[in-house]
Amino acid sequence: MSGDWLAGKAAIVGIGHTAFGRRGEFAERGTFAMACEAVVTACADAGIDPSDVDGWSSYSDDAAAANQLAMTFGAKRFRYAAMAWGGGGSGICGAFLNAAMAVATGQADCVVVSRSICQGEGGRFGQALAGVGGGGLPAPFSFSSPYGLMSPAQMFALAARRHMHRFGTTVDHFGEIAVNTRRMASTNPAARFREPMTMADHHASRPIADPLRLFDCCMESDVAAACVLTSVDRAADLRRPPARVASATMGGPYRYGEGLLAGHQMADDDFASAGQRTVADDLWGKSGIRPGDVDAAMIYDHFTPMVLMGLEDFGFCAKGEGGAFVADGHIRLDGSLPLNTSGGNLSEVYSHGMTHVIEAVRQLRGDAVNQVPDAEVVLVGGGTGTSPTSALLLTR
Amino acid sequence: MSAHRPGLPAPTLSVLTDGYWKAAGEGRLALQRCGRCGAHRHPPTAACYRCQSLDWAWDDVVGTATVFTYTWVEHPVHPATVDYVPFNVAVVELDDTEGEPVRLATAILGVDRDALVVGLPVTVDFDPTGDGVALPVFRPSATGNR
Ligand SMILES: [Zn+2]
Repeated sequence: MSGDWLAGKAAIVGIGHTAFGRRGEFAERGTFAMACEAVVTACADAGIDPSDVDGWSSYSDDAAAANQLAMTFGAKRFRYAAMAWGGGGSGICGAFLNAAMAVATGQADCVVVSRSICQGEGGRFGQALAGVGGGGLPAPFSFSSPYGLMSPAQMFALAARRHMHRFGTTVDHFGEIAVNTRRMASTNPAARFREPMTMADHHASRPIADPLRLFDCCMESDVAAACVLTSVDRAADLRRPPARVASATMGGPYRYGEGLLAGHQMADDDFASAGQRTVADDLWGKSGIRPGDVDAAMIYDHFTPMVLMGLEDFGFCAKGEGGAFVADGHIRLDGSLPLNTSGGNLSEVYSHGMTHVIEAVRQLRGDAVNQVPDAEVVLVGGGTGTSPTSALLLTR
Repeated sequence: MSAHRPGLPAPTLSVLTDGYWKAAGEGRLALQRCGRCGAHRHPPTAACYRCQSLDWAWDDVVGTATVFTYTWVEHPVHPATVDYVPFNVAVVELDDTEGEPVRLATAILGVDRDALVVGLPVTVDFDPTGDGVALPVFRPSATGNR
């Protein structure tokens, strides 16, 4: 099915996460202890002893360092460590790419991808640069923050407005994504926000940065999660059915740079996008898999417009037709492309994409709360609005 | 500190960027311009995206532009903005630059909420932050001025 050299060599064989907390809820436990719980849980799911993990991969400058994890678990060998560039969840699928490459090339036998977020300890992603004080702004942000442009919601509102201007996209289209995601979360006992949401509720939520309202923005959470990867050969002897890595990519469009966070010099089509056009092109090109082959998609939903534009970037609809695509019900559980079936960043938990990967694995195992019948191919999109972003295709 | 957006952080000046801010302090909008191919670029970078030359100099540009996109900030993420939300932040595309379009993140001053639209013609103005530095900001262009 797949032409990517990497295809069929590595698989996700274990998944795990901590409880899903509100921002700051697990501050006393701390980032590292949270990471350890996620690693233990994922290894138990795989049936692999944590001391047999010999490689570690993460992203977004995760604070739970590979060498500390290896020492903590008494790893018999420490062979591989990789960090994917990019802030927030943009590098997540790159971390899975790094892990799968390590397994496929024999650099390591068993690699854990982990991410731990205690926002009370590490600062708030939702506030981005608002906390920068007398020490000065990082140079790229000197051209935005002095004007008050300093939070992700504000930055992504700029792309949303441009998309609305060019293609007639409306706030109802953004609302459809929020409502659909909440509907998915309503049947997920682990999701943080399960109460029903209507379009009227969405429109009545308080304005954050026009055109974005509160219900267009994801929550902030304390959470850690981990996935265990090993070779497809070894996976056959483990307790769980493998989710095979079919392909993975990371990168960004020409002159995308910091993307919507600072810069704004990319081509107009890439400005009014999630910045995932090139990782999508490479993903489909390498794998031979087509958008129409995908049974479910986990598209990074920190802000609803980025989902709409991500659907376009990945070619599920034409450029500019994301609004009509979601309005026609394609992303619903009974639609052609069930989206973020566990509730996503918007309603389940904000784990910088780890729970999107975990949900993709569950869909392929056949034990998701909102199971897509016979799901065989699932797409995961990494965080958007900056580069490198990343993408991952998993198959049964 | 900006007169129009008090309490927000001032730009950090560096060897690469101080010419931009000091020109604004003198009432000029200056961009980096490639010494080889002449392309303008922003924010400042060490090399030309078009010809990769390391040679560059500051070059004054005309200072008219068109609103490319905008937002009205309603939620005061920065505590200093509590007293003056909603305020706008816009990205404008500058007129008469060489190379690919050059865009700036900025503020549009003196515009009603209904009047700020994509495509609005605007003209640069300067908002002093002290120490001889100013933020380039924009105001709607006078009718017939273009
Ligand atoms: Zn040049």
